[in-house]
Amino acid sequence: MSTSSVSEWITDQREQRTLQDWIQDLGPFVMLFGLVIIFTLTTERFFTEANLLDNVAKNAVTLLLIALAGTFPILQQSIDLSVESVVLLTGVVTVVLIAEFGLGLLAIPIAIGVGMLAGLFNGLVFTKLKVPSFLVTLGTLSVMAGVGKIITGGSTITFRNDSIRAIATGNVLGIPNLVLWGLLIYVATIVLAFRTKFGRYCFALGENERVVELAGAKVDRYKIYPFVLSGLLCGIAGVLLTLRISSASPNIGSGNLLPSIAAIVMGGTALTGGVGGPHRTILGVLVIAVLNNGMNLLAVDSFVQEIILGLVVVAAVALSIDRDKIDVVK
Amino acid sequence: MSSETHANTTDAPPDAAPDSTSSFRVEGISKSFGHVQALDEVSLEVNRGEVIGLVGENGAGKSTLLNILTGVLEADEGQLYVDGDPVAFTNPREAADYGVSLVHQEQDVITTLRGYENLHLGREKERLGVLEMESMREAAQAFVDDLGINIDVDDRVREYTFNERQMLEIAKAFHVSQKSDNPVILLDEPTAGLEESGREILFDLVNDLRDRATFVFVSHELDEVLEISDRIYVLKDGERVDMTRVEDATTDSLQQSMVGRETADEYYRVPDQRREAQLGEVTMEVDSVAHEDVVGPASFSLREGEIFGIVGVEGSGKQRFGRLLAGDLAMTEGSMTVDGTELTNPSVSDMVDAGVGYIPKDRKSEGLLLYQSVLVNTSLAMVRDMNGSMPMLDLDAEQEATTNAIEELSIKTPGPNALVHGLSGGNQQKVVIARWLAQETPILVMDNVTRGIDVGAKEEVYRLCRELTDRGVSIVFIGDELPEVIGMSNRIGVMAKGQFVAEPFDASPGNKPTEEDLIQEMI
Repeated sequence: MSTSSVSEWITDQREQRTLQDWIQDLGPFVMLFGLVIIFTLTTERFFTEANLLDNVAKNAVTLLLIALAGTFPILQQSIDLSVESVVLLTGVVTVVLIAEFGLGLLAIPIAIGVGMLAGLFNGLVFTKLKVPSFLVTLGTLSVMAGVGKIITGGSTITFRNDSIRAIATGNVLGIPNLVLWGLLIYVATIVLAFRTKFGRYCFALGENERVVELAGAKVDRYKIYPFVLSGLLCGIAGVLLTLRISSASPNIGSGNLLPSIAAIVMGGTALTGGVGGPHRTILGVLVIAVLNNGMNLLAVDSFVQEIILGLVVVAAVALSIDRDKIDVVK
Repeated sequence: MSSETHANTTDAPPDAAPDSTSSFRVEGISKSFGHVQALDEVSLEVNRGEVIGLVGENGAGKSTLLNILTGVLEADEGQLYVDGDPVAFTNPREAADYGVSLVHQEQDVITTLRGYENLHLGREKERLGVLEMESMREAAQAFVDDLGINIDVDDRVREYTFNERQMLEIAKAFHVSQKSDNPVILLDEPTAGLEESGREILFDLVNDLRDRATFVFVSHELDEVLEISDRIYVLKDGERVDMTRVEDATTDSLQQSMVGRETADEYYRVPDQRREAQLGEVTMEVDSVAHEDVVGPASFSLREGEIFGIVGVEGSGKQRFGRLLAGDLAMTEGSMTVDGTELTNPSVSDMVDAGVGYIPKDRKSEGLLLYQSVLVNTSLAMVRDMNGSMPMLDLDAEQEATTNAIEELSIKTPGPNALVHGLSGGNQQKVVIARWLAQETPILVMDNVTRGIDVGAKEEVYRLCRELTDRGVSIVFIGDELPEVIGMSNRIGVMAKGQFVAEPFDASPGNKPTEEDLIQEMI
C-alpha cells in the first residue's frame, strides 16, 4: 500500500496548481484591471474622482446589493430569480408609504420588511411544497413585478422629502452615502458567510444536503434563510434606489437580474453551489460597472453595449469556472 | 500484506490454458487512486467457451478490474491482449468493438424506451437522419430469438420483469460486440436482484451460449460461482491471490483465499473487546420501533461501551433499521429511550440532540462534503451547538477540535484546511468518525463503516472502535461482512424482513458464533 508522506503530498498539490487555477483566481482581477487601463487610456474622463465615485461606484451599488442577495441562494445550490422584482416592489412601497401615508422614516423598515416577507414566501414554497427554487422565483419574479406595477398605476410615482432622501444622497467626508451603505452591507455579508452558522450551512448545503441533514442540522430552516436574506438585501436596494431618485417607475430595478447572476459567477460562486462567496461577488459587479461606464464614455451604441457585455460575461465565466468539480455541464 | 502465504498460487498453475488459445488476456494490470492501490499487477486470461468466476471481498478490486477491461478506466500499468494482439481501450465502445462488454450490476437500460430501442441505443439504424424503426425492430427480434432469449422487443422496458430486463442487457452485450467473433461478456453480480427462478433462467442462458461467448461472472455468492464457472480467480486487496479450477475449489477454500490474512482475533482486536462485566448501564432502549410495514417492529437494548452488531442479507432491512435509529426514516410505531429521554418519531436533529450519531454506508454521497476542508467536515455536527442559539461560529473551538481529531485518529492530511476530496478513502472515513468525536457523541450507529477502505485503514478503524468503547461510547455496528461483525461485536442481532429473527447471539471473546451460525438464521 503506498503511503507517501504528507510533505510529498503537499508538493504534489502545489505542482498540480495549473495555469487554469491561476486564471480562475486572478481572472476577474485581471479583467477589471485591464478594463480600467483601457478606459483610462481611451477616455479623458474615466479616471477622475468625479467619474469613479459619482458614476461607477454609485451605479454599482444597486447591482452590488442585488448580486449579494443572489449569492446566498446560489451558494446553497438554489437560485433566486425574483431579485429585481423585489427591488421594484419595495421601491414602490417606499414611495407610497412616504408620499401617500406620510410615514416618513418608518417607510424604510416596512419596505425592507416587505422584501423579507417576499423572500420568506419564496423560501417556504421552495422547501415546504418542494417546488424547485428556480420555478418558484421565476413565478414570483413575474407576480411581484405585476403587483408593484399595479401600485404605481403604470406611471412613475414620486415623493418629496429631502431629509429622508439624504440617507442615500448625502456624503460623509466626500464619499457618497450610497457607496458607504454598499460597502457596509458588503462587509456584513462577508461576516455572515464566514463567521456564522448560517453561512457555514449555506456552503455545506450547496455541496451536499444529505450530509448536512445527517449531521443533525435543521435543513429546511437553513434553506429558507438565504431567501429571506435575499429579500432583505433587495429591499435595501429598492429603498436606496428610490431615495436616490425620490421616485419609483414601473420598471425600477429591471435589467439587473442577468448582470447580477453574471457578477456572482464571475466572482467565483459556481451555479452548482458550495464554492465561492460574497467577498468575490464585488469583483464581478465592478467589472460590469466599469464596462458600462467606459462604454458610455466612449459613446458606444447601446445595442452594441449589450453585445459586448454579453461576450465579456461569457468569457469571464468560461475562465473562472472550476471544471474539476463539475462532471456534467447542463 | 500477507501475500507470501499465497505466493505459490499467484503464478499461473501449469494446467492453465496456454496463451495461444486464450481469446482475451490481461497482464500485470496496476491501478491506484491517490493513496489506494486498487489493483496490483493483476493478470487474467480467458479462453474460448469458458465461464470464468471472479470473486473477492468488497474493495478487493473487482469493479476496478471490470472498468479497466471495458475501457472506462485506464490502467496505470499493464497490457490487454485480444487474440494475442496487444490492444488499448479508451472507452467502452472501443472495448465492445473488440468484443468486450459489461452487463451492469444496476441495470443499465432506459425504461421509457422499447426493447429494440434499447438494443440499438447508440447504434441506431438511420436513413438520411431518420430512424428506421421497423427495420430495427425486426433485426432486434431476430437477434434475441437467435440467442434464445424470450422477450418481446416491441414492449417498453418498464413493462419488462426484472429478469427480462437482464436478458435484454445480455442481448445488448452481444449486440454491441457483434464485430468480434468471440465476445467476452462480463457479468457484474448478475444474480443480485434475482429470484431463484430468475437465477435458473440466467444460468441456463449462460450455459446455452457458452459456445458463442466467453463469460466472466462476478459475484459475492460463492456457491453460484462454483456452480457456473470453469475457473475462478480470487482478488484480495488489489492482488490476484488465487486462480483455481472449479474442481479444486470449495466455498471454504475460496473464502480462505479471499480473506486470508492474520487470525481474525488479532485483526479485530478481540482481546481488547470489553467483557460483559465491563459494560455500563443500558444507554439506548429500542422498543418495537417500525417504519410502516417495511422495517420492524424490532427491539433491542444497548449498554454503555457495548458494540451491538446487526447482520442480515441484502434487503433484510438492516440498513433501513440503521436509518430508523438515526431518525432518518420515519418511526411510525414504537419508541426509543436514549439516556433516559423517550423519543417517538424523532428527526435526525432530535437524535443528534439525544446523543446518537449516524455514519452512513456511502460516505461519498452521504458522509462527506468532498470539496470542503477537513475542518468544515469535522465540525459539521458541532457547529449546531456553538454559542448556544447565537448565530456566530466559534472558530477557535473548530480549529482545536479538528487539530485534535487529526492527531487522535492519525488522519493523513496536509492540514485542517485541505479538501477532503484529496484524502484516501480510509482517511476520509476517519473524518466522518471525527465529526462525532468532536461532538462527543456517546452512541454511534455505523453502517458498513469499513466499506471500500484499504486493509491498513480498516485495522485503524477497528482499533478506534475499541478505544471509543473503552471511553464508554456505544456502537451499533451494521455490516455486510460477517467476519468483521462477528469479530467486533459483543452481541449480534440477525435481521430478516426488517425484524430480528431470534434473540441476539452472544459474541463475547471465546464464544463468538461462526459465520454458518449467523447465515442459518439470515436465510
